[in-house]
Amino acid sequence: MPLNSKYLLSRDRVGGLIFLIFCLTYGYQTTLIPLFPGDEYEPFSARTLPWMLTVAGIFLSLLLIVMAQPNEKSGAVIGFDWRLLISFVVLMIAYGFGLTWLGFVLATSLFLLAGFWILGERRKSILFGASFPFVTAFWLLLTKVLDIYLEPGYLFLSL
Amino acid sequence: MLDGILIGLSTAVMPVNIMWVVVGCFVGTFIGMLPGLGPISAIALMIPITYGLDPSSGMILMAGVYYGAVFGGSTSSILINAPGCSSTVVTAFDGYPMAQKGQAGKALALAAYSSFTGGTLSAIMLLVAAPALAQVSLSFQSSDYFALMLVGLSAVAAFAGKGQVVKAWMMTILGLMLATVGIDKGIGVERFTFGLTDLMDGFSFLLLAMATFALGETLMSILKPEDNSISQQSSVTDLGSMKITKEEFKELAPVSIRSSILGFFVGVLPGAGATIAAFLSYGMERNIAPKDKRGEFGKGSMRGVVAPESANNAASSGSFVPLLTLGIPGSGTTAIMLGALISYGVQPGPRLFIDNPEIFWSVIISMYIGNIVLMVLNLPLIPYISKLLAVPRTVLLPMVIFFSITGVYLVSFNTIDVFIMIAIAIAAIFLRLANFPLAPLLLGFILGGLMEENLRRSLMISDGELSFLWDRPITFSFTAIAAVVIITPLLLTAFNKYRRRDLKMQESN
Repeated sequence: MPLNSKYLLSRDRVGGLIFLIFCLTYGYQTTLIPLFPGDEYEPFSARTLPWMLTVAGIFLSLLLIVMAQPNEKSGAVIGFDWRLLISFVVLMIAYGFGLTWLGFVLATSLFLLAGFWILGERRKSILFGASFPFVTAFWLLLTKVLDIYLEPGYLFLSL
Repeated sequence: MLDGILIGLSTAVMPVNIMWVVVGCFVGTFIGMLPGLGPISAIALMIPITYGLDPSSGMILMAGVYYGAVFGGSTSSILINAPGCSSTVVTAFDGYPMAQKGQAGKALALAAYSSFTGGTLSAIMLLVAAPALAQVSLSFQSSDYFALMLVGLSAVAAFAGKGQVVKAWMMTILGLMLATVGIDKGIGVERFTFGLTDLMDGFSFLLLAMATFALGETLMSILKPEDNSISQQSSVTDLGSMKITKEEFKELAPVSIRSSILGFFVGVLPGAGATIAAFLSYGMERNIAPKDKRGEFGKGSMRGVVAPESANNAASSGSFVPLLTLGIPGSGTTAIMLGALISYGVQPGPRLFIDNPEIFWSVIISMYIGNIVLMVLNLPLIPYISKLLAVPRTVLLPMVIFFSITGVYLVSFNTIDVFIMIAIAIAAIFLRLANFPLAPLLLGFILGGLMEENLRRSLMISDGELSFLWDRPITFSFTAIAAVVIITPLLLTAFNKYRRRDLKMQESN
């Protein structure tokens, strides 16, 4: 077995370690679950299943750490467009805030517009055609046909 | 049983339910066709819609989406060699070569006919098998259920693929751990909520399904650089003739029937599902094909399209057997349906057959209707549907993200849910990159609550003794199966490692 860092820190092994830490934290949190007096003598309490899961989780993560395969074998692929993903995550978070502040129609339209743009769409007909009219139609469907109340954005409420 | 069938029939033929079947099949076909989005995502996207419907209509819609997605996946397999879901990967082996030979229309028509055969035959088998199994399972007790869930969870992990068994178990455990978050159902104390009121109800199953599948899969396709094969899609514009000759029909009908029967039984097994059914039937047909036909496999054999297509549709109906009779889902897709049933307040399990016969039977009956709809709707529409594949990625991906986020937002109207969803989706991406399968996570999460409930009852009854696992013959047999399913892959891995080391030693000597 080659003992270089590439082998020691394979994706499997890192995954196993993270899961081990997660299980240990879960196990610690299990000890904090409140019990009623006398529960410790009961065959089953709120802690029973979490304990079993902790033990099984720790066992499995150790097993994965021991049996880990190097990246080539486990089928890991590289060469991803991380920047695009990060911009989408930022966009989605902004959308989340937008829903509260700008309201459904404006936030969604801007989200779609920005999403098309980031992915490289430059045709104006699609950029604007598939965002504002589509969202307005969807909003009409929700509010008028399905009778779902959508809160207006805080910005408009404060005006 | 006859009155049950009649109740089911009257529910299934209600115009509104027929409409849901049609909508489900169409939407399912469309979503299933998009490379990267499989039946699980298709169904997850439907959950918010089903919340507003009756339980039967909701289940009918979901079932329609399910087999629509399985069928739709085959269209993109054949036309652009980019399977929409894992169960149609095999279809691409021979479907795409057929399309390259100018027989795309024929391959699509064969796929439609064989899906129809598979779906219809297995719906008939479901009609017979489900009530029989439901009768047997009426005598089940908590301990039997607990052991049965062990079988279900361990089987899903065992079928996860080579070298992934440990990872699949880890994901199952993670799913079970996530299920313990919130107020405990036994004595009502808070667990793992960190004092946050948003977590008191636990994670919403809709949120988890959307984040790990619909949103996760879309973000994955954003992460992957644009696939060249997708831009080639418009090149297959000439589908060619869709006619099938009498000789071909005679040759292929037995293949389709054999594969459907095999597919159904594989689908019934927990964890196996449509993908394995498709692979198995393809392998079986290749082995039993006459010598002159065997060479065609992989180069555009018609048998190679018919076999997996019949099998995967049959298996998707087959996977309803454990869901409807035992309340134990055998796959990620049926797990989502179980989650939907639970959120309707319907108790899944053998009592479903007695308490809610309209759901039980209407889902089964709607499968016949669904298969006819798929055939009538899709066969003439294939040339047009295949054009939908040309919708640019730049428009499609933001739209799917929008539908996933809005789906969750419109149920709770709470933006915290949107943020939790984004966080889970990011975690899901890393899990995918490290090759951790996510379906077991969902299965563990959905079964977690039921499993704890049954374990609690069994342990209470047996006064804390684990002997409940082998006291009753039924429980014992389930426990034994679970043990075998858990231990076998481990032994196999260890054995293979040992043998490889042995070989290496011999080589170095």
